[in-house]
Amino acid sequence: MAQITEDMVRSVVAEIVAQMMKNGNGNGAGPIAIDEPVEQIEFTEMGVAKQGTNPKEVVIALAPAFGDKLKMRTLTGVAHAKVLRQVMAGIEEEGMTPRVIRVKHTSDLAFIGKRGAELSGSGIAVPLQSRGTTLIHQKDLSPLQNIELFPQAPVIDLETYRAIGRNAARYAKGESPQPVAQMNDQMTRPKYQAIAAVFHIRETSFVEPGVKPVDLQVKFK
Amino acid sequence: MAQRHKRFEVLEQRPVNQDGFVTEWVEAGLMAMGSPNDPKPSVKVADGKIVEMDGRGRDEMDFIEIFIADYGINAALAEEMMAKKSVDIARMIVDINVPRGDIIKVFSGLTPAKMAEVMDYLNVVEMMMGIQKMRARRTPANQAHITNLQDNPVLMAADAAEATMYGFAEIETTVAVFNYGPMNALALLIGGQVGRPGVLSQDALEESIELQLGMRGLTAYAETVSVYGTENVFVDGDDTPWSKSFLASAYASRGLKMRFTSGTGAEVQMAYAEGKSMLYLEIKCIMLTKAAGVQGLQNGSISCIGVPAGVPGGIRAVAAENLVAMCMDLESASGNDQTFSHSDMRRTSRLLMQMLPGTDFICSGYSGVPNYDNMFAGSNVDIDDIDDWLVIQRDLRVDGGLKPASEEQIVAIRNKAARAIQAVFEELGLPRITDEEVEAATYAHGSKDMPARDKVQDTKGAQEMLKRGITGVDVVKALAKRGFTDVAEAVLGIQKQRVSGDYLHTSAILDDDFNVIAAVNDLNDYSGPGTGYRLEGDRWTQLADIRQAIRPEDI
Repeated sequence: MAQITEDMVRSVVAEIVAQMMKNGNGNGAGPIAIDEPVEQIEFTEMGVAKQGTNPKEVVIALAPAFGDKLKMRTLTGVAHAKVLRQVMAGIEEEGMTPRVIRVKHTSDLAFIGKRGAELSGSGIAVPLQSRGTTLIHQKDLSPLQNIELFPQAPVIDLETYRAIGRNAARYAKGESPQPVAQMNDQMTRPKYQAIAAVFHIRETSFVEPGVKPVDLQVKFK
Repeated sequence: MAQRHKRFEVLEQRPVNQDGFVTEWVEAGLMAMGSPNDPKPSVKVADGKIVEMDGRGRDEMDFIEIFIADYGINAALAEEMMAKKSVDIARMIVDINVPRGDIIKVFSGLTPAKMAEVMDYLNVVEMMMGIQKMRARRTPANQAHITNLQDNPVLMAADAAEATMYGFAEIETTVAVFNYGPMNALALLIGGQVGRPGVLSQDALEESIELQLGMRGLTAYAETVSVYGTENVFVDGDDTPWSKSFLASAYASRGLKMRFTSGTGAEVQMAYAEGKSMLYLEIKCIMLTKAAGVQGLQNGSISCIGVPAGVPGGIRAVAAENLVAMCMDLESASGNDQTFSHSDMRRTSRLLMQMLPGTDFICSGYSGVPNYDNMFAGSNVDIDDIDDWLVIQRDLRVDGGLKPASEEQIVAIRNKAARAIQAVFEELGLPRITDEEVEAATYAHGSKDMPARDKVQDTKGAQEMLKRGITGVDVVKALAKRGFTDVAEAVLGIQKQRVSGDYLHTSAILDDDFNVIAAVNDLNDYSGPGTGYRLEGDRWTQLADIRQAIRPEDI
């Protein structure tokens, strides 16, 4: 069994305290409701994201425009704040720690996920694009691989985002959960693809080549 | 508006108005053909090398253009062919007195911008005439998607058998959950050979796993090796034309058929279209495929179809990209493989562009399962459209690659496939398939009718297959041991192709006796009425004989 060092205890305590401050949810209040009325997010950049060491940490890696640029809503008009809150809540529900970072050098979901996973203390990351597309990545997989992929943003509801957070946390714990049940609406393409393209073009206009990912402090409003 | 016109209220409820349309956005490349930002055609050759292409010298070319200039254009012919007027080349395509081979020669010397300009002279009927003449294989064929929402292997095998009994020459699967890859390849291989010996199967996965499964003989070909028309999109995928060519060589060296995939709209969807039209960028992909020495290409927008479909003239551009691939002498798997419209009228009109003239694979593919089970996010046509397809073939006397089958035949073949995979699972020590599952798969419409399986055990089993190094030969042995001798022979027949390599020729498919039908021994020789592929004789009798038709003796 691994030795528990004072450093480890300190880092865990620091993580928990930081998390409580981030969430404003450290008062032992009950689980975060799916319909929590958050609408906006206030991000504070905390400097270049370093390699995580906390094995309880699951990274949520945000695409360049997620949460504070453009309309701050997904393809179907769901507030980014609600999406992020549910993924975080899912991770917390499993007793793990969400760590939010912003990836700036690419808007490609696979690569955002791969970078997030590399930085994640547990090696697990959930990338989020502005249109709402997401997946679960693991650091040892090649970029275009993933553990679970949710390619159809318009059919992902808030419960599903939460379940994605939960599953990411469970992979981080070394478990093999049942994959998140997916809706498959084959008609999302004809309805949304052209619009999704316009969406992605606009998100990509915020890509900053060569700029490193940064840690974010998150406050919901 | 204060008061609504009642007709507009009705129109809003029509399926076509569930589709998404956008306006052209030239600067972002949201334009189908003929963007003012597309370069003007030009070529300069010095010392046998292309030194200028479409207005750019070598030092200004990106890596795609360099690759095309060096390997995709016949420098010895370039200046002569580029000197021809675009409108004259367009007329040659339509002229039945100009043989296919002459057009191939002309296109071997053209630049991307020149080809785009030639296409812009053709209307869609002329493009269809071009496709009829220019596709490589004389006999048209079709491809099916076989997937399901639960990655259920029993259902997958039964569905593969049903599809191949209808006559699909190729079948393609993928996964709902990544780790199922090897198991899905196995289900498709067995089910496909049960339905029709000689069918080729593939499993669209992450590229390295896909190659591994091919090398192990669990698949017979690959198709989802994607190429793009701008450097940024390539870089986003961690690739270059050289890395893709290397991957293509890896397949060829193992005797595996493969083709590339590309399509209009990919670059704009990935936000790096550099303001160029979708067709111009797609032509670069087609030329890159030719330059890499690959025998064929899946194009026709493919998974990006919603993008060209959303802009004016988009579906015309999709027909044009198929035609350009054929003019480059490539095998054409021509799309019609993704949900494209809520409107039955719209999806049929899009389909006819390829179905009427015929292509190497009209759909790539047709959903052999109900669309809710289609893990490629749905196809333009699914298994519930099968009678429509068969009737359209019969109405127009057109060979869409499929033939009618009776309910009894389909039930029997599904049952046999389900029993075969049950036996192989047991022999290979994979998670058990119950008799109840075999029964359910025999009669199922889709995964909703299947009992649930333990997914954790199945994914572990699938990964075990990789660890234990299970190959096509293990499958042959398992089938033979359990008395499925004919299926064992068919799976072995697929393994043998890897050694002979004959199916690496352009546009190759296999008949029931494992004879190769390709552009070498079945080259398209269309030169007007009375020539080329004709739907006649036994084949026509077979296609005309639909089960719904009432015979005089029935009355």
